[in-house]
Amino acid sequence: MAKWGMVIDLEKCTGCQACTTACQMENNRLPGESWQDVLFYTEGKYPNAQMKWIPRPCMQCENPSCVTVCPTKATYKTEDGVVLVDWNKCIGCKYCMIACPYGVRFYTDEKPLIEPNVKDVFKGDGDLTWNPPYKGPQQDNTKGIGIQPSGVVSKCNFCYHKISKAPKGTVNLSNDDPALREFVPACVRTCAPTARYFGDLDNPNSEVNRIIAAKKGTRLLEHTGNKPQVYYVTGAGAAGGTVIPGGRSSKDKA
Amino acid sequence: MTTQTQALGLVNTIMMASGAALLVSLAFAFTNLISSGHASFNTDSAGVTWGLLIVTYVFLSMASTGLAMVAAMAAMFGARQYAPLIKRCTWLSIVTLVAAFATLALEMGHPFRMLWAVPLNFQPASAMVWMGIFYSICLVLLAFKFTKMHGGNWSGEGLTKAGFVVEVLALGTLGSAFGLMAMRPAWFGAEVPLLFLACGAVIGVAFAVLINQLTYGMDDKAMPEKVRSVMTGSLPKLFAATLGIYLVSLLFRTVNGLWTNAEGFEVVGAMVTSPWFMIEVIALVGAFVIMINPAMRAVGTMQVVAAVATIVAMFIGRYEFVIGGQLVPLFKGAWVQGLISYTPSATEWMITLMAFSLVFAGWALGEKMLNLAAAPDDK
Repeated sequence: MAKWGMVIDLEKCTGCQACTTACQMENNRLPGESWQDVLFYTEGKYPNAQMKWIPRPCMQCENPSCVTVCPTKATYKTEDGVVLVDWNKCIGCKYCMIACPYGVRFYTDEKPLIEPNVKDVFKGDGDLTWNPPYKGPQQDNTKGIGIQPSGVVSKCNFCYHKISKAPKGTVNLSNDDPALREFVPACVRTCAPTARYFGDLDNPNSEVNRIIAAKKGTRLLEHTGNKPQVYYVTGAGAAGGTVIPGGRSSKDKA
Repeated sequence: MTTQTQALGLVNTIMMASGAALLVSLAFAFTNLISSGHASFNTDSAGVTWGLLIVTYVFLSMASTGLAMVAAMAAMFGARQYAPLIKRCTWLSIVTLVAAFATLALEMGHPFRMLWAVPLNFQPASAMVWMGIFYSICLVLLAFKFTKMHGGNWSGEGLTKAGFVVEVLALGTLGSAFGLMAMRPAWFGAEVPLLFLACGAVIGVAFAVLINQLTYGMDDKAMPEKVRSVMTGSLPKLFAATLGIYLVSLLFRTVNGLWTNAEGFEVVGAMVTSPWFMIEVIALVGAFVIMINPAMRAVGTMQVVAAVATIVAMFIGRYEFVIGGQLVPLFKGAWVQGLISYTPSATEWMITLMAFSLVFAGWALGEKMLNLAAAPDDK
């Protein structure tokens, strides 16, 4: 069984946010609730200010704190290393959102980011929060796939509806192999500069492992012990995985 | 009979006022919740996730445990002078816990799903599960104990002692639910359960002082001898001691937060410059000064002033803790260099008002209908 993981090459990432858009279209997400965000921030002051960015999907941690805090085991880790949410079991306590160090979880019964609220225009059937004119994957509440129901928490699932259908023994899921393209996560598939790589972290010969080894891949917030399965390799323009400043350390002392 | 008439006048007034507030707040909150759901809250996936309702839940849970501790003083520590307060404190402990649960239920996405989803998918690693189990046991034990007392059976110290232990575990686990969060430094720490227990003691004693004074119209001459004895003797001293312990912890937590350069503690710097922090400190120090002064602490009105000041200050303190722990942004949305801003919505305030109205209306109703003045020596 593969242990799926992702590498994001920040030397290649241009911050174009195509990944965000692709994820939104694939998974019926709206602005403000993007499972795959690119976070922008500034560093330094004029005339030496710089804009930085970092793409942030769910880290699908090896030791996910969201799984251990969930009182109903609604959040769980699959055998192939993906953290999913069973919307049928989620009670909407939001403890997982508190416990996630990476801020990748969304409770969408909130004020909309953009008015008028699109969800009021395309009202959802039954428990579903909305009914978009385009449809993403087939609804599977037990895996947190499809349109988010009300009162539950959602997150990036590495496009589990795609990757779980990949042929057994697949090591690299990339656009390079036309036979595998349908199984590639939307953000990886759409990335124009090919800054994202997806594959089996348990296979030492996988492309993701080779890049992690060659370019010294790092993970965010290692001190929490969550051990993300998303690795970053650093570059000039985008933020480095190990050098992302905190709010305090990036501030000048008054 | 004169005593009863005097006391019931004030109790009636409180019941009417809190009943009216309960109706208004319920109507307002439910209208907004039905029309807009949780979008009527100002909580946000990209900002503060646990808002004012969790603050209220934490505060009322602390009050419930604190009151249960006061009610268990006689059985646990042989402090028989607290016996006249047992029934009243037990009742208020039940009422505050019910109000806490009601508040939590309104905050959750699927509160009824919890009833089957938690037992059928038991997650032993989750502090929230154990908190729920312990507080559910607390509620059952308190209700059982109260029913026994109401039937005139004051035996069963073992039950009270077991209840005390479960109360400590419940509030300690609630503290752990925050203290385990290493990714939120302002919450993290093994001492947080102890802090919660100290808070519970302060709030519980403050409520015990307040309701006993209100019951007798703040007139110690109207109190039965044994109630007067504890209300002018050991209870104010216990109030002073718990306040002192909490003030020391507040002082050092604040100094620690201001001194450290660690990420996540910058919220303490913002907190101390807030006027709310000033109000909190002044109220707590003022209450402490009243309670360490032998002449002042024996006066009913001064006790009420100190109790109200403490309750208000401790609520502000829980707000600072729960909300403050979330103000340092994690990886949410576009990068935020400063602290996240959060102001509770009118609906959130109304649910908080509903919870407090429920506490006071429930207490007053119990005072009128359940003979809360009964004590073991009456038999």
